[in-house]
Amino acid sequence: MEHGKWRVLLTLLLVILSCAFLVSSSASASDVIKLGFIADVSGIGAPFYKSQKAGLDMFIEEINAAGGILGKKLELVVRDAQLKPDVGANMARELILSEKCEFLIGPTSSAVALAVSKVSKEFKKVIFFHTSNAEAITTTNFQPYMFQVVPNTGIEGRGMALVLSKKPYKKYSLIGPDYAYGHDQLESFTKEMAKRRPDVQILDTVWVKLGESNFSTFIPTLLAKKPEAIYAAFWGGQLSAFIKQAKPYGVFKQAPVSSLYDLDMLRATGLDMPEGLTGYARAPFYAIDTPQMKVFVKKYHEKFKDWPADWAIMAYDGMTALTEAIKEAKSAESEQVVKVLGGLKFNSLRGERYIRPIDHMANVGIYAGVTAKSPEHKQFLIMKDVKEVPAEEVWLSVEEVKKLQAEQK
Amino acid sequence: MDHMTSSSRTQWISGITLIVILFVLPVFLNEFGRTGEYWIWVSTEMIIMALFAMSLNLILGFGGMVSFGHAAFFGVGAYTVALLTKKADLPLFLALAAAPFTAAITAAIVGWFCVRLLGLYFAILTLAFGQLLYMIVFQWYTFTGGDDGILGIPRPEILGPTNFYWFCLVLFLICFFVMKMIVSSSFGLSIKTIRENMERAKFIGINVRRYQLLNFIIAGAFAGLAGGMLAELNRFAQPDFLHWSKSAEPILASLVGGMYSLAGPAIGSTVLIFLKIFLQQIHPSMVELWAIVLGAAILVVVLFAPSGLVGLYQNIYKKFQS
Amino acid sequence: MTWQLFVFMLINGLCQGMLLFIIASGLSLVFGVLRVINFAHGSLYMIGAFLAYSLSTLLSGESLLGFLILLLVIPPAIAIIGFVLEVTLFRRVYREEHLLQLLLTYALVLILDDSVRVIWGGDPRSVTRPDLLAGSVDVMGMALPSYNVFILVIGPLIAFGMWFLLYRTRTGNVIRAAVSFPDTLGALGVNVSWVMTSTFMLGCWLAGLGGVLTAALSNIDLGIGMEKIIECFAVVVIGGLGSVGGALLGSLIIGTGLTFFQLPFGRWALVFPYALMALVLVIRPWGLFGKPER
Repeated sequence: MEHGKWRVLLTLLLVILSCAFLVSSSASASDVIKLGFIADVSGIGAPFYKSQKAGLDMFIEEINAAGGILGKKLELVVRDAQLKPDVGANMARELILSEKCEFLIGPTSSAVALAVSKVSKEFKKVIFFHTSNAEAITTTNFQPYMFQVVPNTGIEGRGMALVLSKKPYKKYSLIGPDYAYGHDQLESFTKEMAKRRPDVQILDTVWVKLGESNFSTFIPTLLAKKPEAIYAAFWGGQLSAFIKQAKPYGVFKQAPVSSLYDLDMLRATGLDMPEGLTGYARAPFYAIDTPQMKVFVKKYHEKFKDWPADWAIMAYDGMTALTEAIKEAKSAESEQVVKVLGGLKFNSLRGERYIRPIDHMANVGIYAGVTAKSPEHKQFLIMKDVKEVPAEEVWLSVEEVKKLQAEQK
Repeated sequence: MDHMTSSSRTQWISGITLIVILFVLPVFLNEFGRTGEYWIWVSTEMIIMALFAMSLNLILGFGGMVSFGHAAFFGVGAYTVALLTKKADLPLFLALAAAPFTAAITAAIVGWFCVRLLGLYFAILTLAFGQLLYMIVFQWYTFTGGDDGILGIPRPEILGPTNFYWFCLVLFLICFFVMKMIVSSSFGLSIKTIRENMERAKFIGINVRRYQLLNFIIAGAFAGLAGGMLAELNRFAQPDFLHWSKSAEPILASLVGGMYSLAGPAIGSTVLIFLKIFLQQIHPSMVELWAIVLGAAILVVVLFAPSGLVGLYQNIYKKFQS
Repeated sequence: MTWQLFVFMLINGLCQGMLLFIIASGLSLVFGVLRVINFAHGSLYMIGAFLAYSLSTLLSGESLLGFLILLLVIPPAIAIIGFVLEVTLFRRVYREEHLLQLLLTYALVLILDDSVRVIWGGDPRSVTRPDLLAGSVDVMGMALPSYNVFILVIGPLIAFGMWFLLYRTRTGNVIRAAVSFPDTLGALGVNVSWVMTSTFMLGCWLAGLGGVLTAALSNIDLGIGMEKIIECFAVVVIGGLGSVGGALLGSLIIGTGLTFFQLPFGRWALVFPYALMALVLVIRPWGLFGKPER
């Protein structure tokens, strides 16, 4: 019955081995610094990916045109994590071992980021996160090889609680995606709100699967307890779908919705976006008034005939910080670069920023404003009256971070 | 079969050679630095998935029952290891030993309901239970971490990539020989009799349901062990491990490798994983086409070679002999 | 819960159920006649949705006319794809064991889903609702999207149409006979393979229709096929494999259940369809409306 199977196995193994080495024999040149980008290319993260890639490409092109870093050119290798942590972790491993990437660039989804951060720790390769931002990455899951140039969920949740606490609303309903990002964000919002406005009541929290785009069964539940305001922790395509579907349910007539109104989301929602909603962005090009931003926006627009979304700006800033660290360490090896990360100063498009040593979090705040039509952009709304909530006002104190990091196993 | 003795001798020789090669493989791979480490990792995954495929085949090939919920036991094993090591601080070896038990208990409960149904209804009920368990793991945020899964499963210092490979290989070989014993025992023969002719099995006094349930539990236990090993290899567990599309993987592996032999599914699984990585290594964008390639391959097998690679080999071998 | 809210949620839940019914009834019908569980039904639904998106960008689909064209053109297009699949592939496995049939349809899922990725890319898409259906209507002082009302009208129309086809036409008699007495049908001089092909096409037509309706209801992306097929499974199993009436009942139970359970149970509401599916299989494997296998 088992006739011949061993021989099949044996032949197979030999075939596999020979194939494996034919394929992987391509050696990489040492005058190149390889950057492995674990991206969420498809699904609700797709528009973000395009912006991130544009920002990274632009940076790499500029640096390489100027002769590279420490005489080495930069090279980007991209893999699709499909918003799945296991795929992301496997891709990160493959990028480090098989593609020989010395540095990693993080994805969009926080769940993937958490998994990838573990791989970065295991192989001791520096990774930066420019979009994924669960606060847990810097606290209970902190590891020294990562740094973050995007405001984390704590800064966002507490920042928006700060902004909204000045509004008269007393009854909130919350809705968010049922994974790390949503949980971290809504928890920070709830805690900070309770501290600043003890009279505010959180009526209900509705959890929706990440990626779910049909809100028909969730919106009636959200409205059932008659909230005066809604805080939504969605992002990207999911937020856009939520806004579009919420409108005919009369959500905006009943309660204003606050959320992450970044450029890509505003573009995707177009004129379906209601005016007068208080929201925030992570790096709105139209509201950040620094000379370097002006230069960047001009170049970006010339190159892509498009405006840079928050994701392009933050990916670009991450690259600035990384190359700054490489220069300071005078080495393109993760083991050396990691030593200079804590306290590193870099000149971001958002202004001078530094990386806090305790949690490797850059002092980046959120930009809160109110949605409005704009004469320059006819196809979509932007935010007006934008004010920065500086990170220092709302990020966790060093003691709090220490306490959380100690919980880590 | 007049050439039985000579063929069984060659079989032994090739078997032992294979095992020896598998054991020295990482030593050889380690010569290739990071690339070698990557292939050690891939080989470990292949071993684990081969075990998973073989475990399913106890029900599928030998029992003749199509289960679309087998990933549930795989996932239960993975979460057992994840939860015990992360939350209860148990050492890995104990957690890994517990995985087949929790999986077997789950399989006993699920199986008790499922084996009462036949054919298509059995398949659908396993799918329903599998999805039910998947949803429970997905929604139980405080216990299982929901969509995020459980990250950072600790790994003992001594289990580096190479040692972990050997560890998995030893476990695999033990499981392989245990399964071989089960299949050729009187229990295994009864299971095959039930597959071939249930009425006859009943007639000769086999308690069909009890045997099928027992077989279902054994298969679940092996799947749980495989799940635990994968959780330890990846160092995390996530709800996707229980999803029905994960249940399809070992079925496809069994189909490709051939489901009427013990090693067939293992071969099929290895070939599939290798093909996928091979495609990716040729060019990353080729991964986009992986599902199309896989789907086309399955179509071909279903339509033209339903007995799989091993069957194909046997056919060619027979023709060659005569 | 006030009774106004109750009525509102009921109507809203029935809308969800109706959309589910349109897709699931196709799956059930195909199983009834062909005895094949078509995993690829979800993929065909997804292709319908993406085709609707592509066509709508050509038509500037905000006009009602544009949307009607989508409804008239896409479902037959999916039916034609179904025709090709039935004639070239499905036909060859009707006499094979269940496993090979399931694997054939699963292979189609892999191929079709990945083709969608290659053709349309990973971006989420949607079809803009026509102006007439973009607003809302007042139900008990709460706003219900007009589009949901539209689905609520379409659903019963489809259900009635299918009832009429199955119980009041000769074709329907033949199809029902094919469900109940597959072996004797050929002896009566009916062209069995024609019955099978046309039933399969009808099933695909329904999948396509569901796709168009979904594309304007919510965003569509690469995962919707896999997700929907499992929901349809639950519906069909609860109602009874092969029973269109059962599919209607199953859809409405799941649609309203998901809406109502959300409020008291939160995220656990999503477990309900699978729990109910397992329960029905354990107590009454042939489903609420089905008949025990001979």
